[in-house]
Amino acid sequence: MIIGAGLAGMRAAIEAARNGLDTALVTKVYPVRSHSVAAQGGMNAALKETDSWEAHAFDTVKGSDWLGDQDAIEVMCSEGPGDILELEGMGAIFNRDSRGHIAQRPFGGAGYPRTCYLADRTGHALLHVMYEQVLKHGVFIYDEWHVTRLVIEGGKVSGVIAMELDTGKLHRLRSKSVIMATGGYGRVYRTTTNALSSTGDGLGLALSAGLPLMDMEFVQFHPTVLKRTGILMTEGARGEGGFLLNSLGERFMEKYAPKVKELASRDVVSRAEQTEIEEGRGVEGCVLLDLRHLGADTIKSKLSQIRELAMNFAGVDPIEAPVPVKPGAHYSMGGIPADIDCQTEIPGLFAAGECACVSVHGANRLGGNSLLEAVVFGRRAGKRASEYADSTELVAFPDSALRDAANEVAEILRRDEGERVYALRDEMAGVMEEHCGIFRNRERLGKGLEQIREIKERHRRAALADRGDRFNAELLHIIELGSMLDASEAILVSALHREESRGSHFRTDFPKRDDSKWLKHTLVRKRGNDFTVGYKDVKITRFKPEERKY
Amino acid sequence: MEIKFSIRRHDPMDGENPGPYYREYIVDAEEGMTVLEALLKISEEEDPTLAFRRSCRSAICGSCAMTVNGFARLTCSLQVIPEYQKMGAMRIEPLSNHRTIKDLVVDMAPFWEKMEKVAPFLMPAGGSEGNPVSIEDQAGIDESQRCIMCGCCNAECNSLEIDERFIAPAASAKAWRFVGDVREGHRGKRLERLSEEHGIWDCVRCIHCTQYCPKDVKPLKQIESLRSAAMKEGVLDNPGARHVEAMADSVERFGRLDEAAMTFRTLGFLRSVGMIPLGLRLEKHGKMPHPYIFPQIMEIDEVRAVYDEIEKKYGLKPKKEG
Repeated sequence: MIIGAGLAGMRAAIEAARNGLDTALVTKVYPVRSHSVAAQGGMNAALKETDSWEAHAFDTVKGSDWLGDQDAIEVMCSEGPGDILELEGMGAIFNRDSRGHIAQRPFGGAGYPRTCYLADRTGHALLHVMYEQVLKHGVFIYDEWHVTRLVIEGGKVSGVIAMELDTGKLHRLRSKSVIMATGGYGRVYRTTTNALSSTGDGLGLALSAGLPLMDMEFVQFHPTVLKRTGILMTEGARGEGGFLLNSLGERFMEKYAPKVKELASRDVVSRAEQTEIEEGRGVEGCVLLDLRHLGADTIKSKLSQIRELAMNFAGVDPIEAPVPVKPGAHYSMGGIPADIDCQTEIPGLFAAGECACVSVHGANRLGGNSLLEAVVFGRRAGKRASEYADSTELVAFPDSALRDAANEVAEILRRDEGERVYALRDEMAGVMEEHCGIFRNRERLGKGLEQIREIKERHRRAALADRGDRFNAELLHIIELGSMLDASEAILVSALHREESRGSHFRTDFPKRDDSKWLKHTLVRKRGNDFTVGYKDVKITRFKPEERKY
Repeated sequence: MEIKFSIRRHDPMDGENPGPYYREYIVDAEEGMTVLEALLKISEEEDPTLAFRRSCRSAICGSCAMTVNGFARLTCSLQVIPEYQKMGAMRIEPLSNHRTIKDLVVDMAPFWEKMEKVAPFLMPAGGSEGNPVSIEDQAGIDESQRCIMCGCCNAECNSLEIDERFIAPAASAKAWRFVGDVREGHRGKRLERLSEEHGIWDCVRCIHCTQYCPKDVKPLKQIESLRSAAMKEGVLDNPGARHVEAMADSVERFGRLDEAAMTFRTLGFLRSVGMIPLGLRLEKHGKMPHPYIFPQIMEIDEVRAVYDEIEKKYGLKPKKEG
């Protein structure tokens, strides 16, 4: 059973079905609605003779600020080219160059143009191909079913409890192995590129099941999102040659990353933008993404979706004028710790994609590496979970699990008076944006943590206006908010403890990277209502830590 | 700007007040606000019982299609103020041609079933692995690849309205995605199935699908591509193909369309007999086409020259079987 039907989840399902397993996807949105669909820029892999997977691995390690586990990065970068070819075999079409080879565009933090793409809708193309293959392989889809808890019995996975949104009914779903592929938590921030459904559900489930979360302090802020809505303008826009300008018309990235300028890694570009804005060189809280010099033809053919989005959601045609953009929460480097076969601490329970932390992204993910991670580790999770399922029996499913889940929902519905869920969510998103954004310090983080804990208390007493069974979005959201608050607390606790600056985590009170103390992963666990913090070594195989400069 | 939203509420399972009825909400719309954002505002600040689907809010996941002021729209990419100024109202209803589950949420199961019917996955010909799709080859199917499966086309489809088994535009566009792919190995089989009853020939070419598609997939164009491909492939034993052949023949022989003869050619004798009641009703209203006494036009040679030219250039004249 796979929770979540994005790119990683569906890739895992296909692998399991190929291995002859009875496979099902449980997903709160229909598969093609999953947020992988919104990935724009592309998917990295070393395909050319003049490139190498080792070079890709080095760029990834450097991008991660040496926090990524190098064994996992080696797996991803060496297997990636095979996955690209396999995707084409499944029906995907990547853009071709004039000689018929798969075209590759430059992306931030990469020393070689190795991002394969389909215009600026790569995620959409790949997610739909995955959905096609899921149908082809006869995978069963429980769509619009929301998993409310993982059921663990005798230390092993036994299945899940899920709510059918259409009826409000709770169901037991038993499985020998369960793969979590629930995506990110971008919605804990106010400005985010993420879908309304990216609420960190899997992270909440994992914490409640006793699993730790790893490296949660590392939140990627994408440098180019639209101001009001947070809608993404792909890194491909800069890959194709777009400039970033401040209010003085300067290409300010020349100061921050003299060599690669706009194509430095995302954390570097986002910090530069934030600095420009805070020092008064912004344009109404934004900087400008200027594509005009690329010409109408390039924009229309390679960045057509971007153009439409900019026109529809910001009222700007990038052929005519620069687009105001700012940094926005985009991706979760941290997540449920899993080994290179996606196995978590609990036998039979696996994690893949954005909700997992294997960890290939370390302190900062490179653009084009998330689709790659989803496909490579989705496949590996599917394979390992199949082997596990073949080697074991169904674990008993305790009767109490369904009863407890039902009582929990009934208790929420019984609350007479309480605050509104959506107001609490807005408050949480504001706290995270104010206290745990691009620039952090002890004081801000401490205050943020206090406030999130207080909102958590109020969340336990929040009441619903909708007491109905069917398509009760408010009920779904109070459950989602529980996961988002857990994720928020995990982010804050991890960020407060890490007294250094590395990758996306920048502490103004500790502005330097400190390998002697902090070359290690953060692990947080939930014990009752408290979070405990532990650490784990980083796996270093071939690239010794060095200074990171772009 | 304060705008009055009139929203169709309907909960078929509600014993007391199932509706449908319309409820009004006042939304203070700011510049740039989308219809989806307005619905979120209503549900989050005023009435959480309002049900509708949403996810990406950036026009790529396809969740939030609804009927706005009478037409199928993707609500996340439709701005409130211009729409209101143009239409003078803001009436939100569920997608047409689909059963309502609750309020603005419709049952999409028939939509997905139609998708599954066209076997929506590549079945490559042997040895096509590693066979690249060139820029030119991709151009022929790129529109069909843009589909986000929002359902706007099916909601506005006139043929689906009278025949729920009709394959409808979304799945047809998806079918062309594979039929038109140079790597596909089962083109003939697919075209045969698509040419069956309730298939591509049941489209009445009203062009609504193309008009209301928010992603410029142009489903009608893909349906026409499928029809041409089917005839080229020799899939001719169906009323649709016969109708096209009869039309082409009539013009080639007489220089004009002999409508009275078309019915027999398209449906055959027996099924034409069944059309007699319709014929009588047509006659009563003066709409019945009558056979010509001298059907052939004077300038027939010019018409035939056009046919010869087309045949030479494109070889488009349908193959005769046997």
